[in-house]
Amino acid sequence: MIHVIFKELKELARDGRFKIVIGISLILLVIATITGVNQYQKNNEQYINSVAKERSIWETQGAKNPHSAAHYGTYAFKPQFALSLFDYGVTKYTGNSIFLEAHSRNEASFSEASDQTSLARFGTLSINFVLIYLFPLIIILIGYNSYTKEKEHQTFRLLKSQGVHPVKLALGKWFAIYIPIFCLTLIVFLLLGIVLSNLENLAFFSWNSLLILFVLYALYYLIVTTLTVLISMWSKSSGMSLVSSLVIWILFSFISPKVATNFANKNNPYPSKSEFNTRIAEDKKNGLDGHNPWNKAAKKLEEETLKEYGVDSISQLPFNYAGYRMQKGEEHEAKIYEKHYAILNDIAIQQNSTYKKLAFLSPFIPVRFLSMDIANTSDNLHWKFTKAAEEYRIKKQAFLNNDIKDNSKLGDWNYKMSAQRFKELPKFSFTPPKLSNLLTENKESLVFLGFWLLLPFITMIWASKKI
Amino acid sequence: MITIQNITKKYGDFTAVNNLSFNVKEGEILCLLGANGAGKSTTINMLLNFTNPSSGTAEINGLDVVKNPIKTKEFLTYIPENLMLYPTLTAIENLDYFTKLSGKKFDTSELQLYLTEAGLQEEAHNKRVKTFSKGMRQKVGIALAIAKESKVLLLDEPTSGLDPKSSNEFMELLTKMKNEGVAILMATHDLFRAKEVSTHIGIMCSGVLENHLNTPEVSLKELETIYLDIMNFKNVS
Repeated sequence: MIHVIFKELKELARDGRFKIVIGISLILLVIATITGVNQYQKNNEQYINSVAKERSIWETQGAKNPHSAAHYGTYAFKPQFALSLFDYGVTKYTGNSIFLEAHSRNEASFSEASDQTSLARFGTLSINFVLIYLFPLIIILIGYNSYTKEKEHQTFRLLKSQGVHPVKLALGKWFAIYIPIFCLTLIVFLLLGIVLSNLENLAFFSWNSLLILFVLYALYYLIVTTLTVLISMWSKSSGMSLVSSLVIWILFSFISPKVATNFANKNNPYPSKSEFNTRIAEDKKNGLDGHNPWNKAAKKLEEETLKEYGVDSISQLPFNYAGYRMQKGEEHEAKIYEKHYAILNDIAIQQNSTYKKLAFLSPFIPVRFLSMDIANTSDNLHWKFTKAAEEYRIKKQAFLNNDIKDNSKLGDWNYKMSAQRFKELPKFSFTPPKLSNLLTENKESLVFLGFWLLLPFITMIWASKKI
Repeated sequence: MITIQNITKKYGDFTAVNNLSFNVKEGEILCLLGANGAGKSTTINMLLNFTNPSSGTAEINGLDVVKNPIKTKEFLTYIPENLMLYPTLTAIENLDYFTKLSGKKFDTSELQLYLTEAGLQEEAHNKRVKTFSKGMRQKVGIALAIAKESKVLLLDEPTSGLDPKSSNEFMELLTKMKNEGVAILMATHDLFRAKEVSTHIGIMCSGVLENHLNTPEVSLKELETIYLDIMNFKNVS
């Protein structure tokens, strides 16, 4: 087997096409890395500045009525995760900041895509793009004629007459295609690691995540290599083998993901934005309004509170009832948002689950999901960020409302919270899930990846004995 | 060394080889003569285990080729009508690769020696074989047989398309290998070369071995007459 590997690699090294393809890919990778680093540094700088500036505005707003401050609001910014430089995922479309204010849960805004022209629809060159779309093409170009060239050049009979075991021959060719891609991928990830570890203010960079990403792509290339060799075994000519391999590549990389997206969307449709907002507004209308002491729910709360404290009037309560009511209203609204966003999140989970189950159509699907999750640029991560932001918003509102409740008197609308007290509000921070948790969440994708690794490989071994 | 007993190969209703039997001992050359479709190449393909016989047995060095497809190939070298090598590799690299696949390992000087012994000019040893003529490629094939110390040489129309000089050189090499004890089975159309080089001649027609001759016992003229008589009788063009 080792002799087959060396011979194939020697032939490859003398093949001008291989040199050209590798050259072009390296140029693209360099461009993608430079673009990615610039973009990351710009975004990260913006993130760091925005966080600092926003906090500074909050802390230096001076003495102010807490509820005014609550309406004035603050922003929660999504950190620029180090590996977003590698895989942009959905970050360009999800937005990276959420306005946190009283009574409302807002969507993330200021997505990169919204800042760009329609040219953004053509996509961006990222390292991940080169690795997931172009590297499989290199594998195809290296390996499409691994068997057909032997048949066409009539070397196959001479080869077989040497008594070489067909499985060893197949594995030799398989390794010879895989080794250059493996080495190239290893170099790309090592250089990426070095680049990342030399960047300043890097958020959440982990060599482990990078290592897992490397393993993920290396496994994906194994699958593509196996399929390429298998197609070459079964094809009568190199032309047919190349066309078949390219068709499979198109099916895997473009058609299957789109079919899966359409299927997932059709089976678990999102409500429209207006429908979603109307449902929330209706629930809010029928519930407690912290601003309105005369609505039915507010009256009920008042009666219950008076009963609980054994007093006849809210002025006899040991705290400012206005702050208490606002907090209760805030809690009620938070529950409404939680309920409706949970429905939305369930739909997103169902969509993702359907999509992931369709990974039997293409190994591209589990790889794409895992890549985005590990790089912290997935839809899943965005949901976690929005939940963290909402939890922070609720805590912030409680901090402000409780200040009114505990430190002011009923009817004292001119009450101001001290400038110093604003500084006591904890800062928003968001930590992405641990790598082990991400992998556990992606068990299904890992199983499909295993399926794609094993089935073609077993078929290749079986087919090698038949030719 | 090569033993074929009652071997038959059928493709559906068509019988390519019919109840064929012969032996080729060490130091013998059996030339199988016959028109296209006579079953010569099918016989060689069965010995190489490229196709399995429908019935009968074929043995190389006492081993059944069907039961021992890998082991039997250790003893043989196959040179097809048009021996094709890897064009981007040099003659030495090609020889090195094929010998390694056969489980043998030689250093460069040994490989050069084998190529020289096979008659390949020294300046061609390190040239990529894409520039080689058919005769030069056949010499690499012979070098492979020498290097492998093959006990059996299977040749399928090896001189077809060779110029007379190359053909003559090739026959000299075969004679040399025969004298060293190699058993050679050669399928050919060339009566003249068959008479010149072989120890035995088999005339095949429609998958049947019609005649098996001791070469020294027949003249070229007699061989031609026997051959044509069989072809005419069987109405083969």
